[in-house]
Amino acid sequence: MANEATTLRNIVAAFTDFLTVAIHTILYERAIYPQTSFLSARKYNFAVRQNRHPKVCGWINDAVSAVETELLKGTVERVAIVIFTKDNQPVERFMLDVSRFPTATIADLDTPLERKSAEGDKVPILPKVDMEEQFRATLSRLANCGSTLRPPPEGCTFTVAIELKSVGQAPVAHPQPWMPVEATEQDGADDKVQKRTVPVRAVSAGEMMLECWIEESAVAD
Amino acid sequence: MGSRLEEKSKLVRKRIEGHTFDDEKGDEYEGSKFGGFTEYFRRKKIKLQNLDAQLRAQSADKPQIFKGVVCHINGYTQPSLNDLHALIVQHGGGFIQYLDGKTMVTHIIASNLTPKKKEEFKRYRMVKPAWIVDSVNAGKLLPWDAYRVVDEGVGQKVLGFDNGQVVSQVNKRTQGYKEQTDASWYTSQLKGEHSQMPGTSRKQPSFTQTLTPGEDIEDDEKYPAPEITSSIERAFDQDGMDDGQSSPQKLQQPRKLPATNTLIETPPPTSPPLAPIQDERAYPGEATGADATKLADGNASRLRPREGSQEPDYSMAIVRDSEKLNALSPSRLASMTAEEHNALLLSDPRIRKSTVVHPDFLEQYYRESRLHHLSTWKAELKSQLQALAAEKSSSQKTKLKKLPGQRRYIMHVDFDSFFAAVSLKKYPQYKDKPAVVAHGGGSGSEIASCNYPARKFGVSNGMWMKRAQDLYPELKILPYDFPGYEEASRKFYDAIVATGGTVQSVSIDEALVDISAICFAESGTDGVKRYEGAVHREQRKADLVAQQLRDEVLEKTGCAVSVGIGGNILQAKIALRKAKPAGQYHLKPEEVLDFIGKLEVEKLPGVAWSIGGKLEEIGIKLVSDIREVSKEKLINALGPKTGEKMWDYSRGIDRTDVGDQVIRKSVSAEVNWGVRFENQEQVDEFMLGLCGELHKRLVKERVKGKQLTMKVMRRAADAPRDPPKHLGHGKCDTYNKSLQLGVATNDTAVITKEAIGMMKTFNISPGELRGIGMQMQKLDPIKFGTEGTDVGSQLKLQFKVGQSSKTAPVNQNTVEAERAPEDPIQDVVTPEKQRVADANKPSVPVRPVNHSTPTKKALNMLGTQFVLPTQVDPSVLAELPADIRAKLARHVRPAGQSAPVPAAVNNHEKTSWSPSRAQSPARAFALPNQSQLDPSILEALPEDVRAEILGFYKSPGNRKRGEQALLPQSPRKLRTLPPIKQPVKRKRGGGLFAGRARSNLHSGDNSTLTQSNFVARPLAPKHLQEDGAATTTDTEAEPDELDAEFLAALPEDLRKEVLDQQRQARLQRTGGIDLSLHQRPKARKKKACDEEAPLDRLLQIPPRPSRPTFTMRKLTELPDLRVAVKAWYHEFSDEGPYEEDVAALVKYLRDVVHDERDMTKAVAVVKWLAWLVEEGDEDVSEKVRVAWARGVETVEQGVQSAVEERGLGTVNVG
Repeated sequence: MANEATTLRNIVAAFTDFLTVAIHTILYERAIYPQTSFLSARKYNFAVRQNRHPKVCGWINDAVSAVETELLKGTVERVAIVIFTKDNQPVERFMLDVSRFPTATIADLDTPLERKSAEGDKVPILPKVDMEEQFRATLSRLANCGSTLRPPPEGCTFTVAIELKSVGQAPVAHPQPWMPVEATEQDGADDKVQKRTVPVRAVSAGEMMLECWIEESAVAD
Repeated sequence: MGSRLEEKSKLVRKRIEGHTFDDEKGDEYEGSKFGGFTEYFRRKKIKLQNLDAQLRAQSADKPQIFKGVVCHINGYTQPSLNDLHALIVQHGGGFIQYLDGKTMVTHIIASNLTPKKKEEFKRYRMVKPAWIVDSVNAGKLLPWDAYRVVDEGVGQKVLGFDNGQVVSQVNKRTQGYKEQTDASWYTSQLKGEHSQMPGTSRKQPSFTQTLTPGEDIEDDEKYPAPEITSSIERAFDQDGMDDGQSSPQKLQQPRKLPATNTLIETPPPTSPPLAPIQDERAYPGEATGADATKLADGNASRLRPREGSQEPDYSMAIVRDSEKLNALSPSRLASMTAEEHNALLLSDPRIRKSTVVHPDFLEQYYRESRLHHLSTWKAELKSQLQALAAEKSSSQKTKLKKLPGQRRYIMHVDFDSFFAAVSLKKYPQYKDKPAVVAHGGGSGSEIASCNYPARKFGVSNGMWMKRAQDLYPELKILPYDFPGYEEASRKFYDAIVATGGTVQSVSIDEALVDISAICFAESGTDGVKRYEGAVHREQRKADLVAQQLRDEVLEKTGCAVSVGIGGNILQAKIALRKAKPAGQYHLKPEEVLDFIGKLEVEKLPGVAWSIGGKLEEIGIKLVSDIREVSKEKLINALGPKTGEKMWDYSRGIDRTDVGDQVIRKSVSAEVNWGVRFENQEQVDEFMLGLCGELHKRLVKERVKGKQLTMKVMRRAADAPRDPPKHLGHGKCDTYNKSLQLGVATNDTAVITKEAIGMMKTFNISPGELRGIGMQMQKLDPIKFGTEGTDVGSQLKLQFKVGQSSKTAPVNQNTVEAERAPEDPIQDVVTPEKQRVADANKPSVPVRPVNHSTPTKKALNMLGTQFVLPTQVDPSVLAELPADIRAKLARHVRPAGQSAPVPAAVNNHEKTSWSPSRAQSPARAFALPNQSQLDPSILEALPEDVRAEILGFYKSPGNRKRGEQALLPQSPRKLRTLPPIKQPVKRKRGGGLFAGRARSNLHSGDNSTLTQSNFVARPLAPKHLQEDGAATTTDTEAEPDELDAEFLAALPEDLRKEVLDQQRQARLQRTGGIDLSLHQRPKARKKKACDEEAPLDRLLQIPPRPSRPTFTMRKLTELPDLRVAVKAWYHEFSDEGPYEEDVAALVKYLRDVVHDERDMTKAVAVVKWLAWLVEEGDEDVSEKVRVAWARGVETVEQGVQSAVEERGLGTVNVG
């Protein structure tokens, strides 16, 4: 009876796990680091790659835990893994829309969640098997993204970004793990045509609702 | 098999085949030189081949089945190496004595391998010796595959070929020398000799532990008793619950036993004693009103055939008519938690009475279940028979000692349609008409037994009434006649025991009797030697005994019995088939094989459709077919035990003995009817009761157990809260858990403790529980010492603490009073667990559980913990109001001290009012000691107020000292409390009326004081008085008036809440249910975010907006969508899509992108449509194609724009 009550913290932890794996996968697929520096590993019963460089791993873990902190506050709209060229031009953005995660106050982080369906039955909050299967599917799609994306230019680097909900307060206090992005005229209509969206997979397992897609800049290089 | 193996072995084979031997002139017969071991060995091998060649030449007449086979034998085998060698070589095979390499041979024969060798030889053809033997017997080379020694392990299924089909079978093969011994060639030869003679003395070890054949065997319908039990049980359950009150008395009437000189003392009917008187007093409303009519109803109904199953209907009517349930809208019912639902259900006293929360439930359950009674009676009968048999066999040991090859005479005696026959005695007019025994004429009742006329119409036991009535509409339906059954059974057994044979009871209407000794006495032989006349005489005697028995039973009970006689239990049972109805048949040894052979396999006892199906898979229909099949194959198909049994059965062999003792392996107690709980305390209490029952049974069986198994039935997620059967368990998920206790025990306290712990680990909410069973296994008999003390197991240390747990709860006051003087400071008291709302309480407090149970830490239920003075001034005592006096006296008397009395009581003004709930976090005022109350002021108070004050001192909540309670308590502290069942929400700012709301909600049953917080503040005394009075009346039958001014001053929402509150209180008083339980959490939900420290256990997430759906059929999943789109395309492939349809799809896909946020799905649908249109191009007109292409484009654009609206770039949909 794995009927352990699921709390928001569990959900976020499940997501950050996935995020970590996804970042490693993306780094491997987009050849950000030499592919020989990746180990073969297994997650969600799926063969994945993991960078073995301690600093890379450390960086990713730090980034993910920073994301986790924000997720727990419930202010995150999307998580993005952005790939830059040498001269800081974003080429690809791997987007994870997490806006539909449940929210709770700090005090409620460890309160078990419960949801009832329209019929009044309890709905599983985090159906583990289903979730892992969907994560696996997403990872498999991510691992094949190379077939639809143009090969990234030489010397790319990457970063992790979050987009906040309009209600949320930006995490700018000390210590400051996040750098606020300078406002650009991203909203310009002409900007949209310049990027291409590749849908990856939507995950919908209980409360684990997220959508994953890739935005590729259409700028010819 | 690798080709390497083939290659090498082919060489060897050729060499062997080419080997010729003429005479001993070859160089191999020369003497070997010194040190020439290799040469010597080479020669030896050649010489061995010479021998083989000679042997082969000598037996040219034998079929050369092993041509092309080269064998080597490894290890001990049966038949021996020599025999196998000869067999192989004679039948054209090659034999290698010394294996130079594993690939030399084609097959290696071994019966068992060491694990190391198993690994080593894994990839070679390792074959059992039986392969050789069976192949020789069959005259052809059998596939070696069925005789593997090394297989892929038990978990690996193997492919089998069966009737030309490849089937996957479970790989069951036991390994080891024992199997070889049992299944070996020699043994089978030995057995072959014995199989003709009934009753060999040899006993297979595997058979000693089997139960009696009647019990472990799936039987067919000719044996009614085992199968109908379920329906009987149902009947008992339904029946026993309502008219049980009268039935025990009925059963207790002494039965007139027949005046035969029976050897056996019929066990007296056992009914547990009635509940203790104190409980009778405690349930005044028990046998009134509806119950009385219920009783009458039950009594009447037993005497006439029932029309329909009334009981369930009636009970359902209770549920239906319960105004508690009706008072609620269905939607609210649906949204309740299971606990709340149960609470609601239980709030009807009639329902409550028959569920587990009723303290007498268990006792009633077992008292009223007559099936339980009958089975107990049977168990006792059985144990007496066993005792009798044991006694007899010890006195006649020499005579009963079985000789090998001795003939046996076993009778299987069975009533013909027992239930029907007995019931028909009361209705002799139906004797020749088709009649059945069932619980009622309703279509849902099951036929327990039917007479032979009914069977002619195809009616059979266990059939549903509806079907039976279709077969024969005028079917007579007879009621159960339990006293009649018992009486008939008693007479039946009396007659059987009188025959003087060894008796084994199978069920209440069925018995096996071993009459061999009687027969041998008649013939004057030892039963082994075959004198011509003796066998005849024996058989005649057996027939005579059977005839006499039948006559006697017919005379005594008026019912016919049939007798089958055979050489063993199996034969007796099969003979009985032929004997029925009302006859007898003696299956003589010479007929056995033919008789059994003609039967279909499913007619064998213990074989029903499941085994029958498996046998049919391997091509067996008749019993004689089984004889054609090798034992190995049978074991393969059915498993070692059943396979062997079938093999034996097909040859008429049955090694079970009449009177074989069945050793009891477990003792259990289980309840799965009426299980409805509201909270954990009730579960724990019930567990205590159940463990008590288990303890009783263990004691009765004189055993202790080492392993405790708990079975829990939990309402299946999709099952309704109210199952079709009233208070039944409905559809359930069942969970089991076992625990090793280490030391054998039957102590209630230990079992209860473990059981409650186990129950916790299941983590099932109490409301979902539908059945609990406890089973004790690994039993050890208790040995009693001289004083009847238990010396069987380890001694236990007696700790002081253990004492108090043994003290009955009633004595608690005593303990408390004794302790009080020595321990005056008892400030820190564990907060008592919250009790349920009193609206749902039974009319009496539930009996408290043993203290040692973990969840129950109730302290000081009745008394106060205040220091009671030891010196009592009688005058003061006299001054006190009667109730206080009585209370004090009660406190002190048990302790043997003089009655203490509060010395002086002063200043009532200081007395503040407090809500009754001790654990209320908001309580922030002090209460003086009772001794400080001024009696005069008390006197001056209005009657009700005084009662209230005094009531408070009685209430258990009053624990905390004032100064302690005054400290503002962090609500967080409460988190350390065990989970609270009802979410207790606190409003910000302490809430003027919050306290009031709670006190109404949660006032315990033992408290009468309800008082809101706000008056506790220093207010005008007048106000205090007035309001106090007002709230006091809360619990009485007067409407409480709220100060209109006060109400007006409140903010809008608070006022509404107060008014709601008041209305509910009124409802509650007038018998309505406590809506607040269900309303509160919802109403407060909105505020959940503002709360700084929520105490609720669950954070409710609002339901998600439903996913957008496509078309009327509400499609959401991609495959469905694809199908729908495809259908759409094909439907309109000749005219092009309609605009509206395209628009509908676009709208849906937009919704998918926007609301469901699944771009992938939208894109996939578009791609699918595009593909369809593209694929279907050939056979459509140009116009249509263009129309479709446009449609696709529209959809693409729609999705595109939807994606763009989300601020994303173009999506590749093409």
